Amino acid sequence: MSAISVTHLGKSFGAVRAVDDLSFTVERGTLTAFLGPNGAGKTTTLRMILGLVTPTDGTAVIGGTAYRDLERPVSTVGAVLEATAFHPGLSARTHLEALRIAAGLEAGRVAHVLEQVDLTGAADRRTKGFSLGMRQRLALASAMLGDPEILILDEPANGLDPAGMRWLRGFLQACVHRGRTVLVSTHVLAEIGQIADQAIIIGGGRLAWQGPLTSRTDLEELYLEVTR
Amino acid sequence: MNRLIRAELLKVRASRVTWILAALAPVMCVAWAALMVILPGVEGAPPGRRAESVYSMAQQAYVFALLLGVLGMAGENRHRTITWQFLVTPRRERVVGAKLVVHGIVGLLIGALSALVTLGAGLLMLGAAGQQVWSPRAPAILLGSMLAVTLYGTFGVALGALIRNQVAAVAVALMWFMYADYVLISFLPVLGRWLPTGAARALSGMPLQGAELLPVWAGGLLFAGYVAVLVLAARALTLRRDVT
Repeated sequence: MSAISVTHLGKSFGAVRAVDDLSFTVERGTLTAFLGPNGAGKTTTLRMILGLVTPTDGTAVIGGTAYRDLERPVSTVGAVLEATAFHPGLSARTHLEALRIAAGLEAGRVAHVLEQVDLTGAADRRTKGFSLGMRQRLALASAMLGDPEILILDEPANGLDPAGMRWLRGFLQACVHRGRTVLVSTHVLAEIGQIADQAIIIGGGRLAWQGPLTSRTDLEELYLEVTR
Repeated sequence: MNRLIRAELLKVRASRVTWILAALAPVMCVAWAALMVILPGVEGAPPGRRAESVYSMAQQAYVFALLLGVLGMAGENRHRTITWQFLVTPRRERVVGAKLVVHGIVGLLIGALSALVTLGAGLLMLGAAGQQVWSPRAPAILLGSMLAVTLYGTFGVALGALIRNQVAAVAVALMWFMYADYVLISFLPVLGRWLPTGAARALSGMPLQGAELLPVWAGGLLFAGYVAVLVLAARALTLRRDVT
């Protein structure tokens, strides 16, 4: 069974059709790039997969189950949606610890994920003073807490400097090497083109292109062609 | 549910705002109690009446419990941390349930601290003013105040769940309990006992001008009923909304 299946998914916000009859699948153990212009419906689609936004039509399931019905959601899917979504008065460690307790995960996980994203040194600082890159890494750490099989990341490259970008690339590759499934939305085509197995490109809420990527694919060319 | 409650307790403890508001609560109560000591008494009032009004000021801690409840719930939207909450706990009612419990606990602790401090300060100030320092009703008043403050904490959570905008939720909470209820009472005194303020006052034994209050138990139940109605309204209206 596919890791993620989206079937005839649609969402209207009032008169605006944000996502329209969108269908695609993400296979296990692959890294899938989820691409499209701003306002194409990427974030809305990802939020529907994660049960945060209720679809107007169609379904989005994870291993056949809707996110809201997953028995252990954070151990199945890890998600990074909003890089700035932290309580400014709490430290990174407290933020993670509260999530860990709420999810019923073992005590060692917080230190482990902090180490994974190189944030151990800043763990006890309030997130108020965090740079965008640090927030992205803390968000990734939150997503990794449950040691999930699937990662869904919405523009995790935002605000990363070149070193951070390289780190993220290595991080995602390592995830896939260990058999994880990654669905990542991004605008950084050159980066994602190097590591993605397949791409899903949407425009105006509809599927524009889906297919495998090879070393000979010119992703930028393809993207500009299908989203024109 | 247990896990969620422990997670919420951790966040409440780690937040500075909790400690600041919790420390301000007894200060506010003592200030009100002092006012009750020096205000001229009513001619022919029974001798313990002044002590009763002094100790009932322990209920003035309510605004801090109320604010913490609102901030605890609506703050998740403000800081957009609600996304994490619902990712970990897709059954959204459970998140609200845990917050109700935790802010009830926070309210109880603030209420207990405030009652103790008000009692101590009241004894000293009444004694210094040469007034009767005790009334047989004093224990019931202090206990009722604690319970009222507890319920205000849960009221804040319920209001914050229904009104997702934190600034709006805080404004509504303050307007409601500082003005709206009193304005309504000034027009329609018979309504007083049925309003949340009247219900809380019945519980804490603090009189409400111009209004005859319900019995203590009925006041407590009525206030809890208001909380329940707000929670149900949030469930029906805002809790299921898209988190974008």
